[in-house]
Amino acid sequence: MSTSSTVERLNNFVDWFIPADVVSDVEMRKQARIFLYSHIFGPFIGNTVPLALYLFDPKPGFQITILAAAITGFWIFPFVLRAFGHYYLLATISIQNLIFCILWSCYFYGGVTSPTLPWVLTIPLLALFYVGSSPRMRLVVLSLFAVNLAAFLFLYNVVGHPASTMPVSAMQSLGLVSTIATSIYVAMMALFYANALAAQVELGAEMRAHMAKAADLRSAVAEAERAGAAKSDFLAKISHELRTPLNAVIGYSEMLMEDMSAAEETEAIADVKKIHGAGHFLLKLVNEVLDLSKIEAGKMEVNVEPVDLQALLERVGERHRPLARQNNLDLVVSCDPALGVIATDSAKLENALGELIDNAIKFTREGGVTLVGERVRGAKGDEVAISVRDTGVGIAPERFGSLFEQFNLAGDTSASKYGGTGLGLALGQKISRLLGGDLAVESQLNVGSCFTIRIPAKPVETSAKPAAEDRDVAAALSAAETFHRQLRPLIAQAGREAEPASGQGQEVKAAVNA
Amino acid sequence: MPKILLVEDNEINRDMLTRRLARSGFDVCCAIDGPAGVAMAASERPDLILMDVALGAMDGWEATELIKRSPDTADIPVIALTAHALASDREKSVSVGCADFDTKPVDLPRLLGKINACLSAH
Repeated sequence: MSTSSTVERLNNFVDWFIPADVVSDVEMRKQARIFLYSHIFGPFIGNTVPLALYLFDPKPGFQITILAAAITGFWIFPFVLRAFGHYYLLATISIQNLIFCILWSCYFYGGVTSPTLPWVLTIPLLALFYVGSSPRMRLVVLSLFAVNLAAFLFLYNVVGHPASTMPVSAMQSLGLVSTIATSIYVAMMALFYANALAAQVELGAEMRAHMAKAADLRSAVAEAERAGAAKSDFLAKISHELRTPLNAVIGYSEMLMEDMSAAEETEAIADVKKIHGAGHFLLKLVNEVLDLSKIEAGKMEVNVEPVDLQALLERVGERHRPLARQNNLDLVVSCDPALGVIATDSAKLENALGELIDNAIKFTREGGVTLVGERVRGAKGDEVAISVRDTGVGIAPERFGSLFEQFNLAGDTSASKYGGTGLGLALGQKISRLLGGDLAVESQLNVGSCFTIRIPAKPVETSAKPAAEDRDVAAALSAAETFHRQLRPLIAQAGREAEPASGQGQEVKAAVNA
Repeated sequence: MPKILLVEDNEINRDMLTRRLARSGFDVCCAIDGPAGVAMAASERPDLILMDVALGAMDGWEATELIKRSPDTADIPVIALTAHALASDREKSVSVGCADFDTKPVDLPRLLGKINACLSAH
């Protein structure tokens, strides 16, 4: 533990010298670290040689100073690397400097029999450490070594060399110091290399563990998907099977009601009505479960066709008006005359709106429900926003997040108080998304809620005539409304009450259609 | 009294619909599967056929195709009864020659409206 933290601290220290473009390359960073370790600690070990020469040489000369300067010069390399980068160039210069130091001391102290000769071993070792696996750089540094060696042998043997001033005993001591220092140096580099290797093995093991975990996760996801598909399949099948007996419950209770009303058995009719109502409620629930499971399984078809939105809204309103009236509520449809015809799935849209209206009626004790359709400018272009506003109990903001979860009603107690399946909103949202839009909610406790379906107002593609006509209508309406707005002050001046623009719009639309 | 042939394999549904149609003033005869439906279309010569599509081995679509292929029965309007209001079901109904289609569970006033519309069109 302590060694690894020491290594970590050392690594952090040397990493300070590594330029950003090298840090990102794992292979090069490893080489740069070896390079830095060698340059930071190397001169301490290497300088034992000039130190020993000063001590042992009876007449120490300039050659020792130059050797010491060259060895100490290695300390500049890390700073140059940090400041300028150019790692491979620096590595090459460094190797050249190393070769120079070693051959320089051999030249002055005994040639091929020099006590500093063991240092030659460090040349290929360090050179290959520095340049890593690049074949071109390997060739460069090894050629450098060969050229230097050849030049040295030529210089030493052919041109000549200074006579050694060192006594034999001093040469032996120098040899000892040199060999020990070389050993320490090589051991240090080997240790570092072993550490790097161990880290790599650890990294490899860790990577394999991660990959195994990823494979496990993938199979878990596949398993979950299979289970999800099986669930959807099961729900679809069981829902279908539930509809057959429900047919009988609803159908026979209707028949009984007919019989009883003929026989004027009013008390019994109330009971059968309850059976009939419960049957219808169950059927709605089964249909919702079926639709949800179909959407979740991706099996819900979208049947896109030209849809006249105003007609659709009026139809939906008409269908829910009896239920609203039963609850003493007003159901008002308010439509932007420019709503027009868009390409969407009318049955699905009606279904989603029906769910929202049912929900609104369920949670409203007095007042009413308003169905509002308008064209809006959305982030992704023209959109249609259809809102269902109620004057009901409202929803606390903290319940917004879980509102569209299946079987989640606003407050656990409200399910029993208001009745309902808790599937309507989830289904409304899923259908809105299926149609390329979304369902949003705004609400204030005890004031009311507003659920808005926004779907893209896709123009009708095939046989563009009705859509074009509709655009003409929209343009004419828009022009008429602008005109009316401009006219209003004049009419007011004339002392007459201006009529609302929407009424005017309807007249214009009728005129254009005719 | 217009005669309706109901092709339906579920006994309860058959009983219920038969009685409700009878009360609504129709003469109703029943077939319990596709082949029986095709045979009875020829023998009973009904004014209209109500065809459940989910039938067993021979489904309602195939039975309708056979009925429409035979010159004796081709002109009898067929209303398909499907479990879902799917677009594909609607297209299939049209492609095999059904005059209309309705979904189960049956909403009797709606179905009667469709039946009467078909009968007056023929």
